Amino acid sequence: MRRPIAISLAFLAAVPLLAGVAGLPVHGDPSAPVHTHVSARYIEHGVEEAGASNLVTGVLLNYRGLDAAGEVTVIFTALIAVLAVLTVASTRDADASNHDGRVRRSDADRRHPDHPVSPIVHFVVRLIAPFTALYAAYVILHGHVTPGGGFQGGAILGGLFIALTMVLGKERTRPLVRPVLAPWMQGAAVLTFAAVGAVGALLTGVYLGFPVDPSLRIVRDLMLIALEVGIALGGAAVLAMIFLQMEAS
Amino acid sequence: MIGVGDIRFATIVVLAAAGAAFFLLGTVGLLRLPDFFSRVHAATKCDTVGAGLLLTALIVLNGAEPSTAKIIVLAGLVLLSSPTTGHALARAAHRTGLVPWHAEEE
Repeated sequence: MRRPIAISLAFLAAVPLLAGVAGLPVHGDPSAPVHTHVSARYIEHGVEEAGASNLVTGVLLNYRGLDAAGEVTVIFTALIAVLAVLTVASTRDADASNHDGRVRRSDADRRHPDHPVSPIVHFVVRLIAPFTALYAAYVILHGHVTPGGGFQGGAILGGLFIALTMVLGKERTRPLVRPVLAPWMQGAAVLTFAAVGAVGALLTGVYLGFPVDPSLRIVRDLMLIALEVGIALGGAAVLAMIFLQMEAS
Repeated sequence: MIGVGDIRFATIVVLAAAGAAFFLLGTVGLLRLPDFFSRVHAATKCDTVGAGLLLTALIVLNGAEPSTAKIIVLAGLVLLSSPTTGHALARAAHRTGLVPWHAEEE
């Protein structure tokens, strides 16, 4: 019974999506809006209108802010789905290895203290970790000026957490994220978009609108930076969470 | 008449060509060598020597500019991280019991 329902739901979701794709201009069509006026507008007025010297950030967070908000919601939803699957898999594996002592022992062997982390990896990861953290902060906070931004910086931050966890062990890196804060960090990107969107609604009357008035320039910059930080924290938390869950299973 | 500019240009060409050659050989090795260990060995040559030589070529090309410092830092990072990655991969494979490939004895 569940399978026919799932199939019909998938069809119901696919039909409007396919209809939407069918309505898009043909790829490479010279008369598509993107070639006639959209790109030109971005390049000509993007920096003053969107408030970011980096046009990519301007388009991503300002012109297509709603699109980016949807994107981080998709990532967050994917995290929930992945965690749900991994948690089920890890409980099932634990059950299976209880019945088969051999599997369990070989599992334990891999984490035996006789097999410590390579001293080379240990040294190099610890050597470059502070520089990696600094670079992540630069990529996140400078993302509206130079290439980079929340998604990229968040990936660096998440990778750093994973490398440190592999080298130092979970006991050392787990206290970095307090259990109370963990869910908030996982939802950071979605929550930040909601908050910045609300601020934009108060200031301009449009959800996720950015003030264009020159006197509110600093507000607009802060809104952009808040979005970058939120995306980065959320992205890093998603990567770290999936890694920790995979290690547990 | 060969000037300083010519020598500089020739150095850049030689360094970049050597770097590209390492990438080509490393890629061939990655595709053609028989087992995990030899493939890792080949692949890390690209990242270490290949990228190292290309970045050195960029340093010469860029000259005494502030942005050259960034390339030097980048080269240092590559020279540090990529051999470590190769080492970690090979060690993990060895630890999990992967047996290196041997030519069959006659």
